[in-house]
Amino acid sequence: MDVLLDEYEEMLKSTAREFFERECPPDLVRRMEADELGHSVEMWRQIAALGWLGFALPQAYGGEAAPLEQVGLLLEEMGRALAPLPFLSTIAPALTLAEAGTEAQCQAILPRVGRGELLLTWAVMERDPRCTPDTIHTEAVRDGEDYVISGSKLFVDQFHSADRCLVACRTGQDISLLLLHTDRAGIASTLLPTLSGEKQSEVVFDRVRVPAANVIGEAGQGWPIVERMLERATALLCAQIVGATRKAVDMAVDYAKWRVAFGRPIGAFQSIQHMCADMVTWVDGASLLTYEALWKLSQGLPASVEVAAAKSFCNERCQAALRHANQIHGGVAQIKEFDLNLWYRRAAAWTMRLGRTFEHRAKIAQALELSSSAPSA
Amino acid sequence: MDFGFTAENDAFRGEVRHFIDDNITPDVQAELKQSRLQGPGPFTKELLLKLGEHGWIGMSWPKEYGGQERDLIDQYIFEEEFVRARVPLDLNNILEQAPAIMRAGTEEQKTYFLPRLVKGEVTFALGYSEPSGGTDLASLKTRAEVDGDEYVINGQKMFTSGAHHSTHLYLMARTDPELPKHKGISIFLVPMDAPGISVRPLWTLSGGRTNEVFLENVRVPKDAMLGEENDGWYVGASALNLGRAGARRYYTYISAFENIVHFIKEQRATGLDLAADPAIQDKLAELYSEAQVCRLFTLRSLSMVRRGINPPYEISSEKVWGPDFHVKSTEIITQILGPYAQLWEGSEFTPNEGEFAKQYVGAMVSTFAHGSVQVMRDAIARRGLGLPRG
Repeated sequence: MDVLLDEYEEMLKSTAREFFERECPPDLVRRMEADELGHSVEMWRQIAALGWLGFALPQAYGGEAAPLEQVGLLLEEMGRALAPLPFLSTIAPALTLAEAGTEAQCQAILPRVGRGELLLTWAVMERDPRCTPDTIHTEAVRDGEDYVISGSKLFVDQFHSADRCLVACRTGQDISLLLLHTDRAGIASTLLPTLSGEKQSEVVFDRVRVPAANVIGEAGQGWPIVERMLERATALLCAQIVGATRKAVDMAVDYAKWRVAFGRPIGAFQSIQHMCADMVTWVDGASLLTYEALWKLSQGLPASVEVAAAKSFCNERCQAALRHANQIHGGVAQIKEFDLNLWYRRAAAWTMRLGRTFEHRAKIAQALELSSSAPSA
Repeated sequence: MDFGFTAENDAFRGEVRHFIDDNITPDVQAELKQSRLQGPGPFTKELLLKLGEHGWIGMSWPKEYGGQERDLIDQYIFEEEFVRARVPLDLNNILEQAPAIMRAGTEEQKTYFLPRLVKGEVTFALGYSEPSGGTDLASLKTRAEVDGDEYVINGQKMFTSGAHHSTHLYLMARTDPELPKHKGISIFLVPMDAPGISVRPLWTLSGGRTNEVFLENVRVPKDAMLGEENDGWYVGASALNLGRAGARRYYTYISAFENIVHFIKEQRATGLDLAADPAIQDKLAELYSEAQVCRLFTLRSLSMVRRGINPPYEISSEKVWGPDFHVKSTEIITQILGPYAQLWEGSEFTPNEGEFAKQYVGAMVSTFAHGSVQVMRDAIARRGLGLPRG
């Protein structure tokens, strides 16, 4: 037991921090909000060259098989820099393929992901943000050697630039996970106007044909695979939230040291000091919960309660820390050209994704076996 | 990062559990419960001897003082098992004052106090707080003045828990009023039977007892001083710092939460579904996540200390988050149990022998004992984040 970072993890984190501090100034983040593609192709190429895209992938497919908590450290730094990269949206389905895909599926996709040639994403949620199996209505109907998909998905991250998408579909009573080429006929997508400026889409499938060979795992057995993908993505997203929130906290503490009001730096006022102390305590707590969840996942231990605890805590306490950071900055916090809002809008938007606080807590409550009438999470 | 425990750690945990099963009989348990009011009785002293034989008292201390130089994780596991089994064994003196004596004591003090502390033959009451100040401890007024080969002590101490059954007072007194307030303080190890000491009880809301201690011309020899004259703040502060971390504390903060979850499940088996309301389930799940943060903060401090790092602010974070959680969780418990939460021990309707009522009124102590959560926030902001003094 030693919950601190080891030497290698420290090095990885500081390497990533230096890279993003150099390559990802706030100006780039701002430009990418208005950019059609929304991510830096040059930076994507660079992180592929650094080996970070293949970092977590199996060695058989050119990866380094890094444990998930180390991927989390990279994501924390990407969150800190608000790096405009489709990293999480690509890496989560890639890890799912590595785990549940066939040799042929992995061979066709994973080495190219590692080289930065393929972008992935996933499409699970529809209208109902609970994202449970019964909320999935998009249907895949078997027709000869194909499945034919009809329905629509919401909030699909980076769909506009993704080459492949893992789509959760209803096949009869059950859920199947299908690997889809995003350029197939019958797919229409519309970008959504998001708080963070990040690209998410509504995706409509109108009789889209996918070869039956593109089922991930067994047909009808997709939900546990989806659940695991979302669990991993959620833990990784927490790392991103922690990284971004920590940066906002650092900015607020710095600001409190030099901003003078009533004849002294505002950071000399106890009311401000106590806000700073709370912010740092909350982010530290979020970070420890996140690390524990990632560590458990990478050890192959049951981690759904840990992930739920991390995400619900991040949702609540990181938002609170961001609120404090805004309050300490005062008026400028609302001004677009002042940088803080870049962190605020993104970290806050990330708390709204991949499970609301209530679902995560319902999951915890169920695990605690509190009541015979526990609603299903 | 490694959030797991080794097979050796697990084996040791098993050994401690086994020991508790074998040795903490209902008689022992009953005596331990009374020991906060009455001091260690015969069972407690026997238990301390047995723990000593296992090498479990001061297990992480240097070998030259009777320790085992064991990993601090073992100490953590030992404490966690004892508190989780609700064994109210008070090892605070041994774990907090003994290390200070090891660091600052003379050879004579070490040979006299250390073996007696671990056997429960010497017990200390902490003479820190005074009527005019607790949180601002360094402004204490109790005076110790040299008179020949002796010091003469005059003053009053407040919230001196255990003073009525302890053998000694671990006393902070001012030896030089001319020096800046932190610099003129010394620590004395004063026998409670010294002429001039009197003790008056103060009864607490949760059924406990603390005391006022009056010192009137109490004479102690010069060798009753621990460490250097006027250096007592630093001798004492290091002891206090150790007391802020550790499994004992984090578990104190979360035990009400763990016990309400257990209680709800027990009641469910009898047909009373206390958490049927999803709003209650949501609240308990929120508390669950926050309780994990209490545990993880302790593990973080432990990890730092094991690496030889003196945590700059992390122990203060533990001491903000934990007490605030204790208060929040006990308040929520009152709203889960409703009228049952007000019941003291003594009715067939009382949950857990009045534990929840006691914890509800007792939790407030967490947020001011050993330094208030406000002072801890000051420390995080100034020591941890480098914010300027006001």
